[in-house]
Amino acid sequence: MVNHGLVLDLIDRLGRIPAGSTVTLDVMSGTADAGEIADNIDMIATWCRASGNALVESRHDAVVVRHGRSPDTLAGLHPDQVPGTRLWMYTNFDCNLHCDYCCVSSSPQADRRALGADRVARLAEEAEPAGVRQLILTGGEPFLLPDIDELVASCTAHLPTTLLTNGMLFRGARLERLRRMDRERLTLQISLDSATPEQHDAHRGPHSWERAVAGIGLALDEGFDVKVAATLPAEQTHEVAPFKAFLGTLGIRPENQVIRAVAHQGAAHDGIELTVESLIPEVTITADGVWWHPVSATDASQFVRREIFPLADAIADVRRRFVRHREAADRAADWFPCS
Amino acid sequence: MIPASTVPRLIGSVAYSPNVVTVWEGMRAYFTGTDTPIDFVLFSNYGRLVDALIGGTVDLAWNTNLAYVRTLLQTKGACRALASRDTDVVFQSVFVSRAGTGFDGLEAVRGRRLALGSRDSAQAAILPLQYLHEAGIGDDDVTLMRIDSDVGKHGDTGRSELDALRAVLDDRADAAAIGVNTWQAITRGEIMTGAIESFWMSPEYSHCTFTALPALSTEWAEAWLADLFAMDWENPDHRAILELEGLRRWVPPNLDGYGSLIAAVAEQGIPDRW
Repeated sequence: MVNHGLVLDLIDRLGRIPAGSTVTLDVMSGTADAGEIADNIDMIATWCRASGNALVESRHDAVVVRHGRSPDTLAGLHPDQVPGTRLWMYTNFDCNLHCDYCCVSSSPQADRRALGADRVARLAEEAEPAGVRQLILTGGEPFLLPDIDELVASCTAHLPTTLLTNGMLFRGARLERLRRMDRERLTLQISLDSATPEQHDAHRGPHSWERAVAGIGLALDEGFDVKVAATLPAEQTHEVAPFKAFLGTLGIRPENQVIRAVAHQGAAHDGIELTVESLIPEVTITADGVWWHPVSATDASQFVRREIFPLADAIADVRRRFVRHREAADRAADWFPCS
Repeated sequence: MIPASTVPRLIGSVAYSPNVVTVWEGMRAYFTGTDTPIDFVLFSNYGRLVDALIGGTVDLAWNTNLAYVRTLLQTKGACRALASRDTDVVFQSVFVSRAGTGFDGLEAVRGRRLALGSRDSAQAAILPLQYLHEAGIGDDDVTLMRIDSDVGKHGDTGRSELDALRAVLDDRADAAAIGVNTWQAITRGEIMTGAIESFWMSPEYSHCTFTALPALSTEWAEAWLADLFAMDWENPDHRAILELEGLRRWVPPNLDGYGSLIAAVAEQGIPDRW
């Protein structure tokens, strides 16, 4: 038999704590009958739904109830940060370079693991209805793919698209593929780490800086919008004024200059630590499935699910997990006040 | 138009819940952006608050209905009620019993055990007794179980009413008198169906109200009220405050709604200070 007194206890205890705090309520209340306990939990859940309080956790013997509604985790984010606003697609994992900090360990020896034209096309088609506002293609080095122009076209047909590249392969047939891409809807994001060759080449290989700079110039000359992204050790990310000045001389607008820290992922021996608890997800698709974030697309702990389609379900899954992580973090903060 | 003042008026309120701090911090922030800034001070009980208002320590008091009536009596009618919550002008007391007892009106409690909330709770003690008296049921006609869980706060915590309900559920009382806000809280989702039911609801009366003495200028009070009434449920910043304080909008007080409590205080000999 359900114990209605539990609701009185809950209301009493909620009244003694500030909105936003939680109480843990024993739902066994002297009974070991599993059905009775389940009924008690159902009653508490019903009351919480109707009263504007949040049942944030349900255990076999107790429930955790937040006074008032849980804050809307997604509403608290900048609109651009809402998971699924940007969709990342790893077109392939092989690369002409072997960067020592590559977050997904790409190299000439890496298996291609291509996402494939069909899946990219279907993702692009499903993206906008699922709330995606921007598509981002990355690798590996996407220009190693013989059909990269088709992949890009299937994306730009639906949404503004960014294509990440090292900018070193704009020759011959690959240059022709570049020239077939939609300059109105495509931004090229080219990797360059320093204003002079030494630092860039030390991580990416001899002469890679020179070819990347040439690639930036070519892409600009071809009329593309070009972003430049630098990957730096975290301690150097604030010493970038000379580098930014150099990018200015190349014709890269300030808003197209991206500085990011090396992450301790993939081939990197050190770097900033990123976990699902600390990282706002950016839905990322590879040939293997759905991942939390592009920086961790080979980290098993950040694998979300194998099923890519429907894309809307995959995005919803990532959002659900994100909200759950944030709520758990909030509860931990309740338990461990810092002052 | 009142010129901007650098000296905020002081509002007194009682700390009946941790959320009171959040409410008044929010109110202070809201009025900082107006020509009628306020600050606040919290008291542990309504007796102290009324004393502070009459003593001039605070300019305005956020009073319960009983605190307003006491202020009215102590100032010989000179104080003014300025504004209430929309929920305050339609307040009710509710008599409840276990479901299935067949109670169908006040007469049903004659000879039974009636649990009341704190003795200074208008909604769960003073007015319920008044309604019984008006129905011809004297104190000796029922076995009263007074549950003084939160004396000093005029029933604001709701704790004594929850204790009265527990007494009914535990069969220590046949019926209980509670405020309509507590009744609404426990019946959300209809979870009490089959356990507790109401068998009599009082006429509507008035509950909390901002109270001022004549020393507060009418000009300032009118300007402050205009700002208060401008708080908008559709504005998320305002809504956060309104929701915590249990209203959708501020309204002018309904003075007629205090008549039953004024009569009860006189008849039951409720002291001026509690």
